[in-house]
Amino acid sequence: MKIDIIPPSATAAPAASTSNSAAPPIVAASAPAAAAPAPPSSTQPTPTVDDRSTAFRAVEGGPQMQSGEKLLVEAYAAIWIILFALILLSWRRQRRLDDRMAMLEGAIDKARQAEARSVTMGETPKPPPQAHEGGT
Amino acid sequence: MERPSPSNSARRTPDLAFQILVVVAAICTVGTIHFVAYRTPIEATMGIVQKIFYFHVPAAYSMYLGAAACFVGSAGYLYDGRRGWDALARAGAEVAVAMGVIVLITGPLWAAKAWGVYWTWDPRLTTSMLSVLLYVAYVVLRLFAGDGDAERRFAAALGVLGAANLPIIHFSVQKWGGNHPRVITSGGGGIHDPNMTLGLMLGFLSFTLIAAVLLWWRLRIDLAASRLAELEQEALELGIGED
Repeated sequence: MKIDIIPPSATAAPAASTSNSAAPPIVAASAPAAAAPAPPSSTQPTPTVDDRSTAFRAVEGGPQMQSGEKLLVEAYAAIWIILFALILLSWRRQRRLDDRMAMLEGAIDKARQAEARSVTMGETPKPPPQAHEGGT
Repeated sequence: MERPSPSNSARRTPDLAFQILVVVAAICTVGTIHFVAYRTPIEATMGIVQKIFYFHVPAAYSMYLGAAACFVGSAGYLYDGRRGWDALARAGAEVAVAMGVIVLITGPLWAAKAWGVYWTWDPRLTTSMLSVLLYVAYVVLRLFAGDGDAERRFAAALGVLGAANLPIIHFSVQKWGGNHPRVITSGGGGIHDPNMTLGLMLGFLSFTLIAAVLLWWRLRIDLAASRLAELEQEALELGIGED
């Protein structure tokens, strides 16, 4: 039989009743964080077999049904998805900037060369080329 | 007028250093995942979900690193107004947000098993969320409020004030109690297994390297954006048209 034991640091949590013991969850009721409602089992009688077969009653903070493995995988997936998303966004932004800079640098270089050529040949400077003609 | 352009070798040196850092960070991260998965023991009371710890705590620490970078950059920008400081502050805030979101997702997943609830308004949880929201506000401000000097100064003031919450997060568990574990600080039970300690150390190392890579990368992007703005100005002066 698997028994979940609440760690000392976690005993003050609301609705932290995970023990399979038949005793009422006194710890949860007396915890400092008792602002949350105490489990109804501490104030209501334990249902009999007949009760269980005739009515369903909701309970807050009942035994945990979460799988630790599933939670661990979810946490790890979240970590790497966030990091990879940030890396992907940065990479796209970097590539966009690099492309634009390369295009502008090429266009500026061409414009300067044309300007220098026209000065050495004593010609009137030609109008500068358009940026989209600059290539890489 | 000669266009100021860094020489190829000067440009290549930081590129190479950055690439080496990326490779080292990747190796270290893969090694940490392997170590945590196969070498660290399963915790007695919480079971396997406790292994979130090896990334949750280093992510929180990396959030502090990002926030500290944001603080230093903001203070530097307010002091002398150089764009490099502003770029550092912006990069730091983005890293703080990314790491903070990791902390705020992994923590509740762990708590779901350990405490039976995803969230409780524990002092450390509440102050952590407040801090993440502050840095989200900073990032949103930088994205949508333009890039003038007034906006940068306003953001810098936010970056300086945002750091005030960091010591509150750190000491909240000790001063106000709460549910949050205290195994690392002196008030807690400590980590007794050497493999647990080593796993945590590896986690710290990996996340420090990841934070450094992200910070450096974002800094490079911001500096490239500044350079692009200069080029666009130069192109305008030369009469080069837009496509």
